[in-house]
Amino acid sequence: MATLAERRSLEPWQDPKAVPYLRIDRVTKKFGDVYAVDDVSLEIFQGEFFSLLGSSGCGKSTLLRMLAGLEYPSSGRIFIDGVDVTDVPAYSRPVNMMFQSYALFPHMSVEQNVEFGLKQDRLSKRERSERVGEMLELLKITELRKRRPDQLSGGQRQRVALARSLAKHPKLLLLDEPLGALDKRLRESTQFELVNLQERLGITFVTVTHDQEEAMTMSTRIAVMDAGQIMQVDTPTAIYEFPTCRLVAEFIGSINLFDGKVVATEGDEVLVETRVGRPMRMRAFHPMVLGTPVTVAVRPEKMRLCTDFREDGVNQLKGRVEDIAYLGDVSIYRIRVGDGALVEMTLTNVQPRTEQALTWEQEVAIEWSPTSGVVLTE
Amino acid sequence: MPAPPPNISVRNRRTSRLVNIGIPYFWLGLFFLLPFVIVLQISVAEPALAQPPYTALWQWVDEGLLRIEINLRNFMMVAQDDLYLSALLNSLQVAFICTLLCLLLGYPMAYAIATSPERWRIILLMLIVLPFWTSFLIRVYAWIGILKSNGLLNDLLLWSGLIDTPLAILHTQTAIYIGVVYSYLPFMILPLYANLTRLDLSLLEAAADLGCRPMRAFLRVTLPLSMAGIVAGSMLVFIPVVGEFVIPDLLGGPDSLMVGKLLWTEFFSNKDWPLASALAIMLLALLVVPFVMMQRLQQRMEGSRP
Repeated sequence: MATLAERRSLEPWQDPKAVPYLRIDRVTKKFGDVYAVDDVSLEIFQGEFFSLLGSSGCGKSTLLRMLAGLEYPSSGRIFIDGVDVTDVPAYSRPVNMMFQSYALFPHMSVEQNVEFGLKQDRLSKRERSERVGEMLELLKITELRKRRPDQLSGGQRQRVALARSLAKHPKLLLLDEPLGALDKRLRESTQFELVNLQERLGITFVTVTHDQEEAMTMSTRIAVMDAGQIMQVDTPTAIYEFPTCRLVAEFIGSINLFDGKVVATEGDEVLVETRVGRPMRMRAFHPMVLGTPVTVAVRPEKMRLCTDFREDGVNQLKGRVEDIAYLGDVSIYRIRVGDGALVEMTLTNVQPRTEQALTWEQEVAIEWSPTSGVVLTE
Repeated sequence: MPAPPPNISVRNRRTSRLVNIGIPYFWLGLFFLLPFVIVLQISVAEPALAQPPYTALWQWVDEGLLRIEINLRNFMMVAQDDLYLSALLNSLQVAFICTLLCLLLGYPMAYAIATSPERWRIILLMLIVLPFWTSFLIRVYAWIGILKSNGLLNDLLLWSGLIDTPLAILHTQTAIYIGVVYSYLPFMILPLYANLTRLDLSLLEAAADLGCRPMRAFLRVTLPLSMAGIVAGSMLVFIPVVGEFVIPDLLGGPDSLMVGKLLWTEFFSNKDWPLASALAIMLLALLVVPFVMMQRLQQRMEGSRP
């Protein structure tokens, strides 16, 4: 069990005394009449791997570009290491960015690309070549040093782009869809590599991604964005297990949502009446007034087959298996319940597929426990 | 259905490739190589009072005796007479300076058009191309009205009190520069524009992100990446300007002898076709060398772009 101090160094956002490395204070960016980023405030701490997650057009890239100095906010301030950098142009900011398109200079070799930023710093030739060598070594691309970008594969280009953005030893690295252009297999191996690199160098990473799996695997914390606003900021676990709003719940993974209203409260649990039938009893994190319209959210893997179905049981549903999606390790079952709603349940395929218990059109009963989901009020 | 035997499709592909490559070669042969051979043949003939005004390359003197005459005196004359040499040098100088001026004027213009908002671009490009709707000759002629001592420019300068006596611009080398730069500027702007619109703006952002100020980013990223456009534009200006005839004839003076004008004089006034042809061949040889060099450079530049 970690001590409080240890936990605080691992999770500085839990520590009220911790000073954020990057502070975004009520930043808004308007393009014409459109709010690309709408009153966003964030505090990001030294050594974090922070992800801005959202679908395209949610403003996450614009926010990142404002951190890099490639866009200026319409209002609000940005502080890096306590210094107000809001009006500092990109070329004077102590941050570097890895571009989604990589933006490698096509007329320069790999080596020259990595060296580019160092030349702007007027480092001596010896220092430059040392640093370039170090970066090429770090990303295992030393043998590509003389190649030009058009002679590289996608994965190699990604490494060169990363080497170039790390060459100046920035304290804060911004990554715009760092793995977006890679194929699935390469993406998975690169995810771990990126995290290792970040931990080894101790640099604060802020990445933008639309891929929730990627954000979950790599981040210390995730900010889910929609329509220019931040919906929730939390650790991957908290975002997944305890979403605070419907939008976040639906964006991350799949989830079953039951609309209803609070009919009773018992301790820290509420009884919710929904359209699908019997009431559901769920744990609530804050007190709720009777009659409040709420949504019960339960993830498919939290559902289980019910062995003793009672007519008056809570958190139990009966239905008919309509669809089965076999994914190998798990199978997803779509079950048509009471009022015609579809409920999703995933079961681990403990037995080989051919010996599975459930088949199409089979009548099943499912259940879940009060702590297996959340009650959403918005 | 069985697949057709492979050799048929191979043959078909060969035929279509032959046609595809053949057409431009045929075109070049007919309209470039053939005239060149004719001019080359005239250049080794002797002038004659005949129709055409030069001697034939070969002649049947007797039964079984073919006399081929290759007269190299024209080339010797061109090489030895200072008049031709200085005209050639002057032409190269005018072409070089004008290309440089076009580049200095045209690059910012092309850059401005390429970076302007989409709806402005069409209008700005239109303004560049618009002068082509009037005859080249008339446009150059109009400059006489502007540049002459009681022309528009001098009137304006006198009226504004900047000068007391009219400037003598018309019929000087300066007038040639003005006329050439005016006429050939679009040929510099258009290829540069085409090149600069392809520039990936995220490269400039990356440069800024890596600590590069805008001016340095221009020199280290934009300029090297637009080299292909610079080379193309410069060739489109330099090569025709060396042989330019109309502008020096209309705007130039007696001291501004250019090879194009000299060619005209030799062909039409002196009726010395062989000498004129020799001069034309020499001019061509002088131009081919830089042309090939620039072509090489351009290929290297293109090669580095995906």
